[in-house]
Amino acid sequence: MFSRSILRSFTSELRFTARSSISAAPLPQRACLHQTSWLRTTQQQSQSQSQSPNPESPLGATPRAQDTQPEIQQGSKAPSTPTSTSNTIIPQTRADVPIEKQPVAPNFDTPLEITKSLMSSLPHLAGQTPHYVVAELHARPYLLTAGDHIRLPFLMPKVKPGDILRFNRASAVGSRDFTLKGSPYVDERLFECRVRVTGTESEPLRIKEKTKRRQRHTKTAKSKHRYTIMRVMDVRVKTPEELLQEGAVVVEDTENTTKVEARS
Amino acid sequence: MPVKGIRTVASARNGVGAFILQCKRLDFHYCNFWASSRGMLNFLTKDLPAFAREHPQIEIRVSPRPAKHPVIKGHYINGHEKAICVRNLEPEDIMKKTMILKEASGDKLKRTKKPVTSVNESVRGIWSPYHGDLRGV
Repeated sequence: MFSRSILRSFTSELRFTARSSISAAPLPQRACLHQTSWLRTTQQQSQSQSQSPNPESPLGATPRAQDTQPEIQQGSKAPSTPTSTSNTIIPQTRADVPIEKQPVAPNFDTPLEITKSLMSSLPHLAGQTPHYVVAELHARPYLLTAGDHIRLPFLMPKVKPGDILRFNRASAVGSRDFTLKGSPYVDERLFECRVRVTGTESEPLRIKEKTKRRQRHTKTAKSKHRYTIMRVMDVRVKTPEELLQEGAVVVEDTENTTKVEARS
Repeated sequence: MPVKGIRTVASARNGVGAFILQCKRLDFHYCNFWASSRGMLNFLTKDLPAFAREHPQIEIRVSPRPAKHPVIKGHYINGHEKAICVRNLEPEDIMKKTMILKEASGDKLKRTKKPVTSVNESVRGIWSPYHGDLRGV
């Protein structure tokens, strides 16, 4: 009896140590994967510990997301493509949005650089009138021409009917015979794409019946999403004269520059 | 008989040039005695004047409808009408419903899969196997 109890205690100890060793190993990995939540919780804990005796301001008023933001940036930036390393923006809001879906801040501290080949071929593209643009919004492409009706697959926050937006991220701009492809995006100073918010729409109510086996009860899940609707006002490619007026600089050709591709 | 071209009628594309809000009229109906209209009565006295001042392009009518639940009705430029029952709702919720009616386009609710609808011709034209260069596989 005595030996058995000793054995039992020993095995339980073993089990405990084994479990602790197992759980200790993936913990840092988990912390890496869910770095944001982990950081946030630790920060909250530290904040609550420091502030608990005499809180100067309520917890909701402290800018938690802003504090965590630079950490998330570094964590998610390291494995990303070299394109995101070129723009070193640190968005102050919307920490829950992944980095590739964050809005791009305009980067106008250097003048627009146009290569000579682009300068020579841009008038052909700008002169051929109906243009299209593959504008990207939240990492989704939308092929737009002037006068199109867009129903975004989400409800855009903080816009009112009548607001005018300018789409500044495009992966391609083109006309019938020419296309300016971006690598990965066309510089936003080369084209104009304006869009007017015309209101919100909703889909018809969807009812999904949820059933479980051997149960008479059925649950009905309802959903009725709302979407922002928009109208494309104009899609335009700027001419070289306009670009030079706005302060563009002509440079020599290099290997990977954006070029206007003619149709074969 | 001379040959006539096909007449095309310009389709309305609201927002390309000028933008007109599609909601042209909002009707607010209430009852003075039923408790389900309590929030609506609060809304009418408190929030509606400011809303009407902010939106001069919308005609607003307030009328009693005794022994019925309170209802907001929106009338749209395309001739459609949308009604939302707001019984037992608080003034804030009624404001949300009013905004829904204000921002709606008046069209029937549809489930669409494509985000972009276009009436323009395809910019790059239709692909043809007889034109363009031969391409090696």
